[in-house]
Amino acid sequence: MKRKLFTVYVFTKLNTRRFFRDRLALFFGILFPIIFLFVFGGISGSSGKDVSFNVAIINQSHSKFSEQFVKNTTESKVFKVHKDITTMQAAKDKMNKSQLDGTIILPTNFGEMKPGQKYPSGEAQVLYTQNNQTAGTTLVTVLQSEFKGMNAQYVQTATPFTVVGKQTNDKALTSFDYTFAGLLGFSILGLGIFGPMNVFPELKKQGILRRFHTTPLRVWQYFLSTMISQAIIGLISIAIMFLVAMKFFHLHVVGNYFEIALFLVFSIILILGIGLALGGWAKNERQAAPLGNIITFPMMFLSGTFFPRFLMPEWLQNISGYLPLSPVIDGARLMATEGKHLIDLGPQLGVMAIWVVVIYIIAFRVFRWE
Amino acid sequence: MSIILKVDNLQKSYNDKKVVDGISFEVKKGEVFGILGPNGAGKTTTLEMIEALRPIDGGTATIAGIDVASNPYKIRSIIGVQPQTPAFQDKTKLSELIELFAAAYGEKVNVKKFLDEVNLGEKASSYVETLSGGQKQRFSIAAALVHNPKVFFMDEPTTGLDPQARRNLWDLVEDVRNRGISVILTTHYMDEAEVLCDRVAIMDNGKIIALDTPQKLIKDLLGRGFKKKQHVEQANLEDVFIDMTGKALKA
Repeated sequence: MKRKLFTVYVFTKLNTRRFFRDRLALFFGILFPIIFLFVFGGISGSSGKDVSFNVAIINQSHSKFSEQFVKNTTESKVFKVHKDITTMQAAKDKMNKSQLDGTIILPTNFGEMKPGQKYPSGEAQVLYTQNNQTAGTTLVTVLQSEFKGMNAQYVQTATPFTVVGKQTNDKALTSFDYTFAGLLGFSILGLGIFGPMNVFPELKKQGILRRFHTTPLRVWQYFLSTMISQAIIGLISIAIMFLVAMKFFHLHVVGNYFEIALFLVFSIILILGIGLALGGWAKNERQAAPLGNIITFPMMFLSGTFFPRFLMPEWLQNISGYLPLSPVIDGARLMATEGKHLIDLGPQLGVMAIWVVVIYIIAFRVFRWE
Repeated sequence: MSIILKVDNLQKSYNDKKVVDGISFEVKKGEVFGILGPNGAGKTTTLEMIEALRPIDGGTATIAGIDVASNPYKIRSIIGVQPQTPAFQDKTKLSELIELFAAAYGEKVNVKKFLDEVNLGEKASSYVETLSGGQKQRFSIAAALVHNPKVFFMDEPTTGLDPQARRNLWDLVEDVRNRGISVILTTHYMDEAEVLCDRVAIMDNGKIIALDTPQKLIKDLLGRGFKKKQHVEQANLEDVFIDMTGKALKA
């Protein structure tokens, strides 16, 4: 056994070294994802500068005045009211995904006349997340000035309608968080699938794998050394992506780095399995490419690499969640930016574990040396 | 001399066509054994079965007393195989390739000493793509012998080579024989078989139709009354070519 692992060690060492001598591999494995990061990071950064506010109104009051307020606000050009959101939970959810700038809450007694008063009064609340402080406070100011006008209609001396801002404790995800997790997925996809898919048929064409076949080298030794080597390369590439994202796009990583690394290694092994199966099976590039595209394209578009899955219709979200790459991207985002731990990722890890078993059974079955 | 390889009634069929049809032969230790025959005679299939690369349909092959079919990994660790076209992964140094091949056999070698022995010591840090044709040949054979195999297989080693490279390879085969390693090679060049092989088996349609030393086969033929048109030639065009372009491959 010790001798067999020594074989794996030498193969891992030399093939990893070989990767870093290959300029083309370096470009596609490391530089390419970073270029994507700048391109997509730039897009997602500028899309947030909307003039109007995306808000939800939660009207807990039944007063005439509150209904009028909701109507006015809905018609206003400054606000884009999401009418489909009626509960606090839904509103918080959307705010955490940065789909809402804030939530206006009209408490039960809003717009009612207090005993002894001849005019309606109330205090509206504006809820916003830590990431959306600017939008939140602006929202408060806008409402204040609106109330000021209304107040003047009723009394001069008192201010019956007031507004207070309140920050939630949740840290919302910026759209960049989704972009970043998606690009991590893209990078893993590129390294894990396109790497072996191109390299193996080439090695077969030159008869290099055939030559290894004449030695006692076993398929699992070859696979294991490729896995370790890819995990090392992948972690380096991803570490660079993290550094760039933190430096240039204000990515705020709240998760535990060790756990994130463990999760990513598992992800790399999972996706690499697809590449090993494809490259190991294909006799030549022409055979590998079409099948590779059939397998990778759905993942590229449905797993949330370039646009987040929550933008898809629900039925599609449900289906695409079972693609191998979806739990990778979701899990990476949940851990890195939402501070979730491995233990919280049961559903994701479950889907991944099933895929690992299925994919590697296939990979070992279909592998051929020539 | 002791028997190192024993093949008994070996068979292989593809789609009901018998590609190898019950052949038997033995190879002695330190012998160069040639399998001759036209294309499609079953030479390569025979070799691949003995190398444990292809399942054996019928009969047995044993190397150093080990049954090939039931111990493929043990067999692969005591044989060396020179592929038809030696290829190595690029961007890997010679020293690293030797390390890699040794590791494939679970072994560790003194890479520098090893390369010095085959006169490639100064190329240790070069990539294999920078070697000349002759150096590549030498390196390929050296790499295939990194684990000191008992039997060395060469499938049509000189097909597609120019005359100089062929002669160069013949010298290398002699070196392997001198190390006491049995060599089994296939070829369809009769002159090559005559120069290199101690004994040859002639295959046609999956069967061995003759097996003996080249000298004996020629003698038998003459004994049957065969007469070649006598035509004495002091030299031929190949001799001219080799004389004018130098015996050894240009490095």
